[in-house]
Amino acid sequence: MSRLALPSRTLISLLAAALAAPLAHAQAAGSDAERVSDLEQRLLVLERKLELQSEEAAAKAKEAPVVTVASDKGFSLKNAKGDTEIKFSGIGQVDHRAFIDDDGAFRDGFITRRLRPTVQGHLGKLVSFRFTPEFAGNGTGDAASIVDAYFDLKFHKAATVRAGKQKGLLGLERLQSGGAISLIERGYVTELVPNRDLGVAVLGEVASGTVTYGLGVFNGTADGRDVIQADDGLKELEARVFFEPFKNEYSAFKGLGFGIAGSTGAKDGSGNNFASRYRTPGQNQFFTYNEAGVVASGKHTRYTPQAYYYFNNLGVLAEYAVSEQDLSRGGVERSIKNDGYNVVATYVLTGEDASYRGVKPSSPFTAGGPGWGAVELVARIGALSIDDDAFAGAAAADRLANPTSQARKAESYGAGVNWYLTGNAKLTTDFNFTQFDGGGGGTADRRDEKALFTRLTIQY
Amino acid sequence: MKRTFIVVAAALISTAANAKDFLNVSYDPTREFYKEVNTVFAAEWKAKSGESLNIKTSHGGSGKQARSVIDGLNADVVTLALAYDIDSIATQGKLLPADWQKRLPDNSSPYTSTIVFLVRKGNPKGVKDWGDLIKPGVKVITPNPKTSGGARWNYLAAWGWALKQPGGSEATAKDYVSKLYKNVPVLDTGARGSTTTFVQRGIGDVFLSWENEAFLAINELGPDKFEIVVPSASILAEPPVAIVDKNVDKKGTRKAAEAYLNFLYSPTGQKLAAKHYYRPRKPELAAPADIAGFPKANLFTLDSVFGNWAKAQSTHFSDGGVFDQITTGK
Repeated sequence: MSRLALPSRTLISLLAAALAAPLAHAQAAGSDAERVSDLEQRLLVLERKLELQSEEAAAKAKEAPVVTVASDKGFSLKNAKGDTEIKFSGIGQVDHRAFIDDDGAFRDGFITRRLRPTVQGHLGKLVSFRFTPEFAGNGTGDAASIVDAYFDLKFHKAATVRAGKQKGLLGLERLQSGGAISLIERGYVTELVPNRDLGVAVLGEVASGTVTYGLGVFNGTADGRDVIQADDGLKELEARVFFEPFKNEYSAFKGLGFGIAGSTGAKDGSGNNFASRYRTPGQNQFFTYNEAGVVASGKHTRYTPQAYYYFNNLGVLAEYAVSEQDLSRGGVERSIKNDGYNVVATYVLTGEDASYRGVKPSSPFTAGGPGWGAVELVARIGALSIDDDAFAGAAAADRLANPTSQARKAESYGAGVNWYLTGNAKLTTDFNFTQFDGGGGGTADRRDEKALFTRLTIQY
Repeated sequence: MKRTFIVVAAALISTAANAKDFLNVSYDPTREFYKEVNTVFAAEWKAKSGESLNIKTSHGGSGKQARSVIDGLNADVVTLALAYDIDSIATQGKLLPADWQKRLPDNSSPYTSTIVFLVRKGNPKGVKDWGDLIKPGVKVITPNPKTSGGARWNYLAAWGWALKQPGGSEATAKDYVSKLYKNVPVLDTGARGSTTTFVQRGIGDVFLSWENEAFLAINELGPDKFEIVVPSASILAEPPVAIVDKNVDKKGTRKAAEAYLNFLYSPTGQKLAAKHYYRPRKPELAAPADIAGFPKANLFTLDSVFGNWAKAQSTHFSDGGVFDQITTGK
């Protein structure tokens, strides 16, 4: 059996020839056998040294940490065994926001929407972690914060305990990564469910991954917002179950998923962190409980049925949410029930598969080359309605919100184009048209909002 | 019939399922010896205690094996090439007491060995003693003492011989060993690798070998290919054995581990050692034919020349030690 690769043998042959040349001249001088034996020994030693070098290199390779650099998955350092890894990834998004026919009501301009490096990894098979700071802050780099900071204990596929700051369990679009959402900003349901919360959850999948669930206890958040540091001591329970019954089958329904999620808890306090505020897809607030002295004073429950369906280059995501919260003012307590929905449709013009995790271009864009990336058309309708009781009562006594300045309902229609240049770069533009009931002063409706947003996303 | 089969199968499955795992972490050249020891001891232990043991042995370079135990390899006993390696398990891993070597007779070495020369049939280079190894044109095969326990014994045997020569001193010994390693064309990382270099690849004129490895090579490849040369003096290699206290207490195998190591001192254990070319501490217990096969050798102990393993290690094999000095020419 050959012990050396071809180049090594060639090298030995050349060396043999080189060493044999002077030997030819010396043959006449006698002791030929000794010289041939010596030459043979030298070659054998050389061959053995190469063999040992190769064995040493192979042994080192087995023990050496593995460095992986994948443009679409970040880069990672992993031990040779593969059970300990640290991975670096990140996402950055720069937006341009323009509002049409707004008479200067909103400010046009550039903002840095997300600037999030992520360090994640696992320490053995049991422990993993994720840490994501947000450097974009309020859009100009101020007020940096921590987005994710949690640890997982992976006892089993069916039971992972996650502790720390993490995404809330409820919203389907909320659970999509910021780089994968179809339109530039998420829809109205995301405004009604917790954003990121602090607590402990058990997550898992059963039945070969066709059923996933989450169950957790959290500090609790106002609708659509992050947890705050100052806890009122009360907690929220969140739960979600999601089914993908055909996930493992070759079927037209392979991409079908549906489920329901809900939360229940209590809040006790005043201000933005307890009573909710809602924004349009243009990120402008259209409703808040703006009367002085509104207090969250009891139960807060939410439920949200949700579903998606992806088939080839077509995708549909739909969700509905109800948020019902006890609020009081002037000694009068009301249970306010707000609800909203959104339906998003996507169609990938270039033929790639649509998916909940975004589109991967089959032919990435190359400057001067044949690739143009993937192009996806997106459309969305959605609405968020405020309970009439929020506007009931006397302005000076127990009314929670002023109907002349706060809209009762926002209804939006959006459309856009996503250009996935590569797995790392996505250029998006979308237009959202929003109509309101009330909130425009007196009995008038708030002015229609026409938001034209453009975004460059870079992720790795 | 069917019922009998089921009962027997159930008994076998039950026995296998109940067998306790037991691990002996050893060094390279003991494979054949411990394979037989494990079989004989397991049967004896079962008869004596009623307990079934699933005994496995792990082999590798002695230093590397010690490192694995320190790093968590769940050894019940260690049977290594050097006391220094078990010292490391005691001092770095804190898995057994520092005075472990006093717990069993003969410095916890139930058998010994030595370093001999394996030469090609007819001894074409006329190698008879250590002095011949530094002659021009003699190629010596020995592993790297920085990575191989056996190689350290080779090195210390050479150093001890040089020191015992008329006019011998530390300086002459260093000069001798320096010249010796100039005649080493390939430094393998372990004893088995060096055996491959010499026996299978046909490199070199002399292989500095564990005595039992030399006998094995002749047995396997035939006396028409190699012969053993016993130098005028060599070192008494005392491969030590020890219980890994922390592991046996955790696993509940202390009694079995004690019995396993005591078995090595028993008549059966001593017989098996001699059969596999290790010199038994009590030759009278071994088969006379096996004992007769050992050539007479003038052996000196490590302690008599170097004090102890710790001193030998730090002087010769630590980073910047004598071996590094002679191989880098400093």
